Amino acid sequence: MTPYPELMGFWAVCITWSALFLTAVSIYLYMDSRKKRKLTTPATSTFRFVIDFVFVWALLGLLGLYIVSIDRGSSILFASGNIVVEALLVAYTVKNRPARGPEIEKELSP
Amino acid sequence: MRPTDAYGVLETSERGLSEQEARQRIEKYGYNELIEKRVSWSQVLLRQFKNPVSGILIASAIVAGFFGQIEQSIAILAMIFLSAILGFYNEYNAEKTVRALRQSVSVKAVVTREGKTMEIGARLVVPGDVVSVYVGDVAPADMRIVQCKELQVNEAVLTGESFPVEKTSDGLGLQRPTPQQLTNYLFMGTVVQHGNGRGVVVSTGRHTEFGSISASLAESRPETEFQRGVKKYGTMLISLTMALVIGIFVLNTAVGHPIIDSLLFSLAVAVGLVPELMPAIVTISLSQGARVMAKKQVVVKRLVSIEDFGNIDALCTDKTGTLTGGRIVLEDYWSLSEARDPKILHYGLLCNSAVTGDKITGNPMDVAIWEYGIANGIEREIASYAPVDEVPFDYQRRMMSTVVRKEGKLTLINKGAPESVLSRCKYADADGKSGSIDSVQKLIDAKLAEYSGAGYRSLAIAYKTVDTKNSYSVEDETNLTLLGFLIFTDPPKKDAEQAIAQLTKMGVDVKILTGDNELVAVKICEDLKIPVKRVVRGSELTQMSSSEIRSAVEEGTIFARITPEQKLDVIKALRANGHVVGFMGDGVNDAPALHEADVGISVDSAVDVSKGAADIVLLEKNLSVLADGIEEGRKIFANTIKYILMSTSSNFGNMFSAAAASVFLPFLPMLPMQILFMNLLYDVSNMTLPSDNVDEEYTKWPRRWDIGFVRRFTLFFGPFSSLYDFLTYGIMLFIFGASASVFQSGWFVESFWTEVLVIFVIRTRRIPFVSSRPGKWLTLLTLSAVAFGTILPFTILGDFLGFTSLPAQYWVLLILMVATYLLLVDAGKVFFYKICKF
Repeated sequence: MTPYPELMGFWAVCITWSALFLTAVSIYLYMDSRKKRKLTTPATSTFRFVIDFVFVWALLGLLGLYIVSIDRGSSILFASGNIVVEALLVAYTVKNRPARGPEIEKELSP
Repeated sequence: MRPTDAYGVLETSERGLSEQEARQRIEKYGYNELIEKRVSWSQVLLRQFKNPVSGILIASAIVAGFFGQIEQSIAILAMIFLSAILGFYNEYNAEKTVRALRQSVSVKAVVTREGKTMEIGARLVVPGDVVSVYVGDVAPADMRIVQCKELQVNEAVLTGESFPVEKTSDGLGLQRPTPQQLTNYLFMGTVVQHGNGRGVVVSTGRHTEFGSISASLAESRPETEFQRGVKKYGTMLISLTMALVIGIFVLNTAVGHPIIDSLLFSLAVAVGLVPELMPAIVTISLSQGARVMAKKQVVVKRLVSIEDFGNIDALCTDKTGTLTGGRIVLEDYWSLSEARDPKILHYGLLCNSAVTGDKITGNPMDVAIWEYGIANGIEREIASYAPVDEVPFDYQRRMMSTVVRKEGKLTLINKGAPESVLSRCKYADADGKSGSIDSVQKLIDAKLAEYSGAGYRSLAIAYKTVDTKNSYSVEDETNLTLLGFLIFTDPPKKDAEQAIAQLTKMGVDVKILTGDNELVAVKICEDLKIPVKRVVRGSELTQMSSSEIRSAVEEGTIFARITPEQKLDVIKALRANGHVVGFMGDGVNDAPALHEADVGISVDSAVDVSKGAADIVLLEKNLSVLADGIEEGRKIFANTIKYILMSTSSNFGNMFSAAAASVFLPFLPMLPMQILFMNLLYDVSNMTLPSDNVDEEYTKWPRRWDIGFVRRFTLFFGPFSSLYDFLTYGIMLFIFGASASVFQSGWFVESFWTEVLVIFVIRTRRIPFVSSRPGKWLTLLTLSAVAFGTILPFTILGDFLGFTSLPAQYWVLLILMVATYLLLVDAGKVFFYKICKF
C-alpha cells in the first residue's frame, strides 16, 4: 500500500497544476509572439506547431508517467519511462536545433 | 600685494624653483594630491550587512535564539558572516583594482623650473612652482595669478556657478576676502575656459580650497541604464518574495503548524529565495572586466559604466585623432602671390600659442607650424620680431591674434579658421600689394574648396599695422589684410577602416561630430569606406525643431560645423530615440557631451577636463581598442544576465513548491538551516560565473536590459523547477515512504542538483557542452559543489544539519530525473528563444 495515501490527491493536484501552468504560459508566450509578429510572419503549419511544442508534449507525457508510476509505487516504470523520454528529447535536440553560432546569430540579430 | 610680490612670499622667482628645491618642498608639503575618499576595509565589511537580506537573517537568528534554538541561531549567524566575508573579499579587491586603474590615468601641469617650461605630473607640483594654464586645463593647485590674458575660469566645482569668472593678476586690496572674491587666484580643480595665465602655487593637495571641501564633493553621477535595471529587478524580486513568504507563514499557521516553526521556515525561505549574491556577482564581473580591459589599454574610471559600454549602439566620435592619426602636419602654404610667400610661415610662428621648451606642446596646428619651422630652419628668421601682446584663441571666434614689433613697426597678426578670418578681412595681399578682397574672393573660395575637398585643413593668416596702445583685444581684429593660408593634413589612420568595419559589424552606428567642415569629413569617410547616409550641418541643426533633430540624428552620419552645444543636442536626441550613446572626445569643448552620453570615452592624451568627465579612458586613441572594450563589456553583461536568469528561474520554482509543500506536508519540507546552507553552497558555486565563456553570438550586437524578458523567462522556467520539486516529493513520500529527515535530505540533494546544474543549460542558446563549452573554473566549481552537496548527507556536517543517508535506489531515480529535467529545460529553451527575443 502506498505510504501517506491521504497526501496523494493533494500531490497529484500540485504536480498537475505546475505542468498545466507551464503549458498555459507556453501557449500565452507563443500567442503573444504571433500577435507581435502578425504582419511579418506567415501562418505556422500544423506540423511546425507540433514540432515547436515538442517540449510541451514531452512534459504532458512525463506528467502522466510520473502520476501513474508514483501512484503504483513503481520505480521500474518511472525509470524506464524517463529513459524513453530522454532518448526522444536527445533526438529532438540533435535534429532540431542550430548547433552552430551563425544560425543563432541570425535569430539574435536586431 | 602686487602680482610679483607673490614670488618673494613663496621664496621663488619668475624662473621658478630649482629641481632640488622642488624635491625638498615635496618632502615638506607632500605630494599634490587629495586624500582620496578611500573606502576602508571596515566600511566595505560593514556594507555587507547593510541590506534587507542580512536584516532578515539577523532577525531570523535572534528569533531562533529567543525561542531557545541556540544551535540554529549560531548556524545562521555563522552563515551570515561567511557570506559577508565572501562579499567583502571580492568587493574590497574590486575597490583596490579601480583605485589602481584610476591612478594610471595621468594629469599633467605645465611648470617653469630653473627657467625652463616643462610638463610634469600634477602630483609633483609644489608651493612656489610657477604654473602656466591654457584653455581646457584644470588648475593643478591654488595659485596667485601673476600674469593673465582674458582669463576666464569655470569655478562650478567650487561654487556651483556655471558662468565663467573673469580673473585678473591685479591686487584686490580686500580685507579677509572669501575665496569667491579672490579673482586674482586660480583654485585647484577649476577649469580654464578662455585665455591663459601664469600663477605661483600657494597651496597644494588637501591644503587647497578644493581639498578642504572635496569630502563633500562626492561624485553624483546619474545611474547607468544597467544599474537602473538591476535595481528595478531587485526591488521586484524582494517585494514578490516577501509577499509570498508572508503567505507561506499565514498558510502554515492556518493548517496548524507551530507558529515558531512556521516563522523560522518562512524567514529561511525568504533568505533562500532572494539572489543576495547578485551585487557581489556584478562587482566581480565588473572588476574582472576592468582588469581585462586594462590589458587592452582601456582604463575604466567608473566600474558601473562597463555594461553600458558593451551596449553602445550609437558611437559619436570626433574625427580628429580617432579616424585620423591625430598628428597634424603642416603640408603646405598658399598665398595669392605667384610665388609662395614665406612670410606666411613667419607669421604662423609669430601668431602661435604653442609652448616651446624641451618639447613643443599646445594646440596641434601651432605645434605643427613649429615643427615645420624647426625642421626647415625658419624659426631663426623670426628672431627680429619682438612679441608685444596676444589676443588668445577661443572657440567662438575660432582665431587668435598677436601683436609684434619689428624695427619699431607694430603689426597685428591674425590666424584662425578661414571663414572667421575672411569675415574680418577687407584686403588681400598679392605679391606685396594690397587690394580689395572682393576681387579675389572667388579664387579664394575655389582654392579653399579644393583643399577641403581633398581632406586638407587650412588656417588663414591675416595682418594689419596697428598703433601703440596698452592692450589689444578682439575689437582690433577688423579690417585685416589676408596674406594666405597654411595647409595641414591629418591623414586617416591605417587601422581605422578595419576598426570602423568591425564596429559596424558589432551593430554600432558610428557618427562623426565635428567642428570641421563637411567636405573634410566626407573625404575622410570616403577614405575609410564609411557609407554617408546624410550630412547635417550645424547651421541646419539650429533651424530644426526637436522632433526634426530626433529624425536627423537617425539618418545623419556626419554632423559638421557643429558647436559643443549642438554635440550635446545630437547626443540628447539619440538618447531620446532609445539609443545607448557613447561619445568619444578629447577637447575641453567635449566635456559637456562626455557627461551627457551614456558612456563618455576619452583618451589619456586628452585635456584634463575631458578625462575628468569621461567614464572610460583609452590609453591609445584607437578605435580598435574601443571595439575590444565594447566586446568585453558585452561579455560582462552576458554573464551578469546569466546569473540573473538562472537564479530567478530556480528561486521562483523553489518558492512555489516550498509554499505548497509546507502546507500539505505533516512536517517542514526542509529545515531553515538546511535552506540556508543550500543557499550558501549555491552562491559559492556561482562565484566563478563572471569568468564563464560567452558564445560569440552574444557579443555580436548590443543588447539592452529588458525587465520584460526577465519576467517572461521567470514565468516560463520557474515552473520547470517546481514540477521537479513536486516530483521529488512524490518519490520520497509514495515510493520510499520517507520520514521527515529522509524527505528533507532527498529534496535538498534534488533541489541542489537541479538548481546548480541548470546553469550549463541556461548559459547558452547552443547545445550545452557540444557546441558551447562552459568556462573551466565554472565547470570545476559547479561540479565540486554538486559533489559536496551529494556527500553531505553522509557526513558529520550533514548530521549536524539534520540530514540522513538516502536509499541507494533513490540515487538511480535522481540521476534519471535530473537528466530528464535538464533535457526538458533544454527543449523548452529552444521553444522559448524562438518566440522571445533578447
